[in-house]
Amino acid sequence: MTLRAGGVRPWVLQRLSALYMALFLLLAVPAAWLAEPLDFSTWHAMFTRPWFNVATTLFCLALLGHAWVGGRDILLDYVHPPGLRFALLGLLGLFLLSMLVWLLGILLPLMGGVA
Amino acid sequence: MRISIYRYNPETDQAPYMQDYRLDEVSSETMVLELLTRIKAEQDESLSFRRSCGEGVCGSDGMNINGKNRLACITPVGELGESIEIRPLPGMPVIRDLIVDLSQFYHQYRSVKPYLITHDAEPEIERLQSPQERDRLDGLYECILCACCSTSCPSFWWNPDKFRGPAALLQAARFLEDSRDQGTAERLNELDGPYRLYRCHTIMNCTDVCPKHLNPSEAIGKIKKKMLKHII
Repeated sequence: MTLRAGGVRPWVLQRLSALYMALFLLLAVPAAWLAEPLDFSTWHAMFTRPWFNVATTLFCLALLGHAWVGGRDILLDYVHPPGLRFALLGLLGLFLLSMLVWLLGILLPLMGGVA
Repeated sequence: MRISIYRYNPETDQAPYMQDYRLDEVSSETMVLELLTRIKAEQDESLSFRRSCGEGVCGSDGMNINGKNRLACITPVGELGESIEIRPLPGMPVIRDLIVDLSQFYHQYRSVKPYLITHDAEPEIERLQSPQERDRLDGLYECILCACCSTSCPSFWWNPDKFRGPAALLQAARFLEDSRDQGTAERLNELDGPYRLYRCHTIMNCTDVCPKHLNPSEAIGKIKKKMLKHII
């Protein structure tokens, strides 16, 4: 790794996360759709399975990483005053981080069938 | 035929304005540059625009014609309809009328070092290429630097001082593809970072407007692939 961060790495992250999210949705949406009956207990059971829980957690991480690169790109394109850009990047980072904490707070306790 | 032309003389005008001209007996094969030359000769000698070869080789007369960047000398009137609107290339400071200041564009072009970088001692004879190696330069070397692509790129409008723009990146790709060039790592390191290469969002306006039918968007994609291989 000879290159500094900021160009190629976010670009790779954006593409890899998009690929993972596409694959996950291709498998998870039909799996959820086919689950019978489509009620709380069935969904709860799905998320208590470790492989599905981990795959969903990875999906959430990919989504947040993807959103970070996309939001950062928009701010780099349109917001030029350094102070305002830094503040907006900070707000975006805090928002995505709070989403991460919230999602992990929901998903991880389900892992072993708790909650 | 009605022709509406962007006018601005910073020495006398408070703000730019559009001025209408009428020309009769215009055939569909007539090029827009000829219309401008007729207007300047017959109606308004103060009208200013760049021109040189008049046949799509020099790239001097890039301008925005009916909303699209084109070379006036190879754009026939028949493609444009009864009413023509001509503006300077977008996003660049206007010097006068249809003449824009391309300093920023040339600065970005120079930044990609559009020449061979070699570290070996200079050979006694020419640096040779196989026909296959030479073929890899097709579609990259033909750029005439008319600036139609870079000035149609929204990313270049937003960050003209930091984003290299499609014309400069096409040149970067041309030297990255050249079998005689030894500056691959140096070139890729220079292009990394959030702005120089990665402000390209594959909008593809560049490819749409290129009067030489080149594909800067594809060339930029190839640079990104080389960048990926470079870091792995």
